[in-house]
Amino acid sequence: MSNAENTKSDLVCPRCRSSKAEVLTSSPVEGVWTIYSCTTCFYAWRSTEPEENTDPDKYPEPFRLRPEDLAKFAVVPTVPPLRRS
Amino acid sequence: MRAFKDLREFLQLLESEKQLLRINEKVSLEPDLAAAGCALAQLGGAGPALQFDNIDGYTNARVVVNVHGSWANHALVLGMDKETPIREQFFEFARRYQKYPGEVERVDGASWQEVVVNQDINLFHLIPLFRLNRGDGGFFLDKACVVSRDPDDWDNDNVENVGVYRLQVKGRSKLAIQPIPQHDIAIHLTHAEERGEDLPIAITVSNEPIITLVGAMPILYDQWEYQMAAAMQGQPYKVVRTAKGLDVPWGSEYVLEGRILSRQREPEGPFGEFPGYYSGGHKFPIIEIDRVSHRKDPIYEGLYLGKPWTELDYCQALTTCAPIYVQLKTTFPEVVAVNALYTHGLVVIVSTRCRYGGFAKSVGMRILSTPHGLGYATIVIVVDENVDPFDLNQVMWAMSVKVNPVADVMILPNLSVNLIDPAGQPAGIVHKMIIDATTPIAPDRRGHYGQELDIPPQTDVWRKKLAALVKELQQ
Repeated sequence: MSNAENTKSDLVCPRCRSSKAEVLTSSPVEGVWTIYSCTTCFYAWRSTEPEENTDPDKYPEPFRLRPEDLAKFAVVPTVPPLRRS
Repeated sequence: MRAFKDLREFLQLLESEKQLLRINEKVSLEPDLAAAGCALAQLGGAGPALQFDNIDGYTNARVVVNVHGSWANHALVLGMDKETPIREQFFEFARRYQKYPGEVERVDGASWQEVVVNQDINLFHLIPLFRLNRGDGGFFLDKACVVSRDPDDWDNDNVENVGVYRLQVKGRSKLAIQPIPQHDIAIHLTHAEERGEDLPIAITVSNEPIITLVGAMPILYDQWEYQMAAAMQGQPYKVVRTAKGLDVPWGSEYVLEGRILSRQREPEGPFGEFPGYYSGGHKFPIIEIDRVSHRKDPIYEGLYLGKPWTELDYCQALTTCAPIYVQLKTTFPEVVAVNALYTHGLVVIVSTRCRYGGFAKSVGMRILSTPHGLGYATIVIVVDENVDPFDLNQVMWAMSVKVNPVADVMILPNLSVNLIDPAGQPAGIVHKMIIDATTPIAPDRRGHYGQELDIPPQTDVWRKKLAALVKELQQ
């Protein structure tokens, strides 16, 4: 089954393997492609991309993430203190 | 000098100069568009822009890449002959830069107001976004200008900012933005967040070609990009004011209006960046888009960014050289030229006349304290006034024979650098190096430099004669 045919329930994020992925949009010309987005790691991919961007087993090792890695991302720029009114 | 009213007028010029190649066959957004952009960069030379007119999944989308992606196209942006050498483009660019400020002309109405979408916005339908590199976290706008004002100084035009920042399109009307602390927009955002307010912004896509260069230029905080664009094109720069009070270029294809949401951060990236490495992931601010305006049948201008050189390296080439050159000249009028072409000026080569021994090292240190030096320059090579910093054969000769490492290499520890320099340790901090490749002069008497070769008499005469004959021979 291609990603284009996936239903919401069996979507797995290629990058972090979270099952919390959803359909973001589909092509203006119906049925050509679908874009999915992971609500855990925010990775997005198009159904018609090469497998290394759509298949969790073929996603390149250096770019894989574990959901717990997200907590280590640096906050840029830092959020300043609120001014006292 | 020439001003282009919009992207379409410039594309017409490129086509008439045989610098635009149309691809009419059906292409996929991935991997075709990035692959074509990358392949074109590999071909080198006077690469044309590429226009794709048949994109799979759209009825009438058009994508253009490599608009600035060769020295020929860069010269045409400046209204110069497409065969103008880099060194001449540099001096002309620096001359115009010093004409700042030019005049800004506010006008009512623009072609980008033809179509307005303010509900059910879907950026993926409006703009044919495509992935550039396989490790990118998603789909990015990488050649758009972001316009903002300072909430603490709202009516001050001089601090209105126009900058090219990477924007990850994360939802139908949601983006992430990378405002690193050295960027001017980070100052505006900090003020908005201290007030607990969203920061209004406008994102302009597919612009006339000069503002793209100016938006990538490290000018001073209180220099206004539109006045710089006017100076660079030698004519008033036309802008249109949005309902929120932001000035946007008249000649854009799309204008996206929205807000950076106050005090919110969310994972973004990675994104293949200018050093030829991915940026890693960060938590960046997010943008909500409230309104999109665009021309009928808009053209989307993207940019392929890969390991240098690709189109990006032309966009941040002379735009980097000129400000450093002018800022250096105010302290050291002896400076002749600045080459900051390599990896956004992480390496800078400067040629200068030396007044006395040790002078070149001071010129090198001044580069590190320019606004660009604070975030980028990490290796500075100083050469003599008679060495052309744009001719790497000459630079390598100077490095080969004029550098005694024990006396001519300075390492300066723990200085600031852009967060995405992969050499940073920790990220944002790096040791920097100045290499003095000038001839030692008194009182710094070292080496044996008394008998330098020069050229035979009549060489200049023969060069002109032979250049014409060789051209005739090879036609």
